[in-house]
Amino acid sequence: MGPPTPSPSGERTSRWRWLWILPRLAFVLFVGGVALLLWMSDRTDKEERRATLISDILWLEQNLRFHLTRNEELLGRIDSAHTASPAAFESFARTVFGFESGLRQLIWLGPDGTVLLAHPTTMDPSLVGDAEEAIPSRQAFLLARSLAKPVYSKPYPYFTNDWQFEVHVPVSREGRIVGVTVGVYRIRDLLSDSVPWWLAERYRISVIGDSGKVLGSRSKVESAVTEEGYQVSFDPPGWGLALHAVPYHAPRPLASIALSASLVILALIVLWSLWILRRHVLRRQAVEEQLRQEHAFRKAMEDSLDTGMRARNMEGEIIYVNPAFCRMVGFSAAELIGRRPPMPYWADDHLDETRSIHDRILAGKGPEEGFELKLKRGNGEVIDVLIHEAPLIDAHGQQSGWMGSMVDITERKLAEERARRQQERLQSTARLVAMGEMASSIAHELNQPLAAISSYCTGAANLLRNQAAATEIVPALDKAVAQAQRAGQVIRRIYGLARHGENRLERVHLAAHIDAALGLMEADIRQKGIRVTLDLAPQAIVEGDPVLLEQALLNLLRNAVESMRDTAPDQRKINIVLSCTDGYVVLTVADRGCGIDAGVADKLFDPLFTTKAEGMGMGLAICRSVVENHRGRLSFEANPGGGTVFRILLPMSPE
Amino acid sequence: MSVSVTHIVDDDPAVRDALQWLLQSRGVSSQAWGGAEEFLSFAAGDLCGCVLLDVRMPGMSGIELFDRLRGLHCRLPVIFLTGHGDVPMAVQALKDGAFDFIEKPYDDNALVDKVLAAIAHDAKRSVRDGSIQLLQQKLTQLTRREQEIMQLILAGKLNKVIADELGIAMRTVEVHRSRIFEKMQVRSAVELSQRLSLLGESPED
Repeated sequence: MGPPTPSPSGERTSRWRWLWILPRLAFVLFVGGVALLLWMSDRTDKEERRATLISDILWLEQNLRFHLTRNEELLGRIDSAHTASPAAFESFARTVFGFESGLRQLIWLGPDGTVLLAHPTTMDPSLVGDAEEAIPSRQAFLLARSLAKPVYSKPYPYFTNDWQFEVHVPVSREGRIVGVTVGVYRIRDLLSDSVPWWLAERYRISVIGDSGKVLGSRSKVESAVTEEGYQVSFDPPGWGLALHAVPYHAPRPLASIALSASLVILALIVLWSLWILRRHVLRRQAVEEQLRQEHAFRKAMEDSLDTGMRARNMEGEIIYVNPAFCRMVGFSAAELIGRRPPMPYWADDHLDETRSIHDRILAGKGPEEGFELKLKRGNGEVIDVLIHEAPLIDAHGQQSGWMGSMVDITERKLAEERARRQQERLQSTARLVAMGEMASSIAHELNQPLAAISSYCTGAANLLRNQAAATEIVPALDKAVAQAQRAGQVIRRIYGLARHGENRLERVHLAAHIDAALGLMEADIRQKGIRVTLDLAPQAIVEGDPVLLEQALLNLLRNAVESMRDTAPDQRKINIVLSCTDGYVVLTVADRGCGIDAGVADKLFDPLFTTKAEGMGMGLAICRSVVENHRGRLSFEANPGGGTVFRILLPMSPE
Repeated sequence: MSVSVTHIVDDDPAVRDALQWLLQSRGVSSQAWGGAEEFLSFAAGDLCGCVLLDVRMPGMSGIELFDRLRGLHCRLPVIFLTGHGDVPMAVQALKDGAFDFIEKPYDDNALVDKVLAAIAHDAKRSVRDGSIQLLQQKLTQLTRREQEIMQLILAGKLNKVIADELGIAMRTVEVHRSRIFEKMQVRSAVELSQRLSLLGESPED
């Protein structure tokens, strides 16, 4: 477990804050930029329109001027033929009107200012009559006659709504004023005649008097004007008149609106998505933190476990190990993860066994109650472990591998082994003590008659040296003989004891008794890892005492097992063959043990002779005694591949 | 004072009989006892000779019998007959005052030699026991004054000094002195001292 990282979450949140400032800043800049763009485009638009307005109105003013000037020329071209009769005047007037001149009336004044001709004839006789009196007309006439140049009159109202002005063009012939042609313009009609339609579509054009009063205008009623107009002085006719144009509220182009709208919508979408993203990230952060804590907790749990944990996938590859496992096997996690069998911690001596267990587990046939195994640590030390394997189920409920828990039971095994040895030693000691006791008692029983015999004989010898009479000595010698017989009886009794009383004779199936003897030895055989191969002929039947025969078999097996104490574990093997030949049953027990030295071969069957530190030297002696009691023979020879072969030959039971 | 007899205590009649026969062949008189209890009922303080004692017997064992005999002030020398396994026990008995032990199977004549040695040792002891007894009898004849003066004589003091210490006349001291010598049957202070030294080396009882 590494040292705890100092508050990674705090560091992360500050970084997160910085990360968050950037998109916010970008968003604000974006919105600002868009607004600026819109504003600027709007302004440019306005300026452009204003420039158009100015140029349009200047153009209009020029157009009007040109119009009026042309009309002046036309009016100045009047001659006597035109003024000869009202009909000629009318035709002249019609010609002039035909040019879209904006004129409404043509009046021919005499040099004194009297109305000589008019077309249309004065619709309002008062006006014509008043014309001389009317201030603007009269002044204009006088000014025109004196200047001999066209002069425009002040505008004056005509009925209620309309305003008119006049142009007085003096006509001279041979240096003398012969009359004045007066053209009457009605301002409204002038505008409607001379303002082209496309201009009228865009602006409301009006003529404004010097007092600011609108004297006439051309406009569409339905459209409202919103913006400031532009005005230029209208000269001629002069008199403070001004041309005023106000653009109609032109509908803004759809594309621009759509663009602005889409920009705003885009900004909103960006804002919204930013908000969503932030909320998502916050939630994610919270979940991450929770997950990290959970993970840290689990890791702490796993790290503090004493039990080794190891996960493998379905192919047997290691995908996870916990620290306890690493400690147990002495390899680091990096060395183990990704490894496939054979694993580096498999014990060399148990490779086959380990591999077969491994394969069984992967096939799903592993022992459910767990199993014990020897493993090799990184430093070569061999440990005993108890392993439980369970299927590893992933989040989808599928088995993705195997999870194994491992407990080091080396100490326990050692303790068990020690206890077992101690038990064996105790038993062996108890047997020795019992035997010693028996031997001591036998010795005492034999000592008594022997001592008596010795005393009788010594006494007799003493007397004989003193030339005593034979009659004196004979009774002592008789007594000595009796004591010798007594000693013989003691020995016979002991012999009878060793023969286990009466021999019970019955038909004995040797194969079954070999199995039984192996059963008794099973724990020892398995603990030492010995392989036993059997080839037993079932018809091998002898006549004898089954208990004694089994004891003999057991002694042979025990010798075989104990002889292989120093043999390498994979070489430990006992081969038992039971066969029948020529009326004899032959049993061979072949081991791969230390063999028998030539020096001890002679004494091998002697009672109390032993090569084992804790042995009593009775095993083989009993064996031979039992076999010979059954009219058989016990022999041994060296095993060609090392070790010893013991052979028992017993007569087969008749029939 | 009685005749020296070797007492054989063994549960095995054949062994008893054979040992008697063996001892007899060397002229040693013996008496056989079938068990410890049997011998104990007979044993008394004034026996002479020695005891051959089998360590291992049914009932009371040889060692136990030895302890009981000592309790009865029987000073007979005891020779233990032991089997192989009983040697440590016998050695302990030897430390407790047994005369000897002999391990079975034994050399019979060597056994007889040991018996003879034990008998001789016992004889010597009983002689010494006899003279001590006599001495003690003589001491009891002395008066208190005479005993007092005898202690001073044994301390090597002259008559004159003794008279001064006891505040009596020198003449009186001389009379006491001659009476003491007469009663103790000695002729000089040196002889008296030698006689009395026997008492010092005798075992306390």
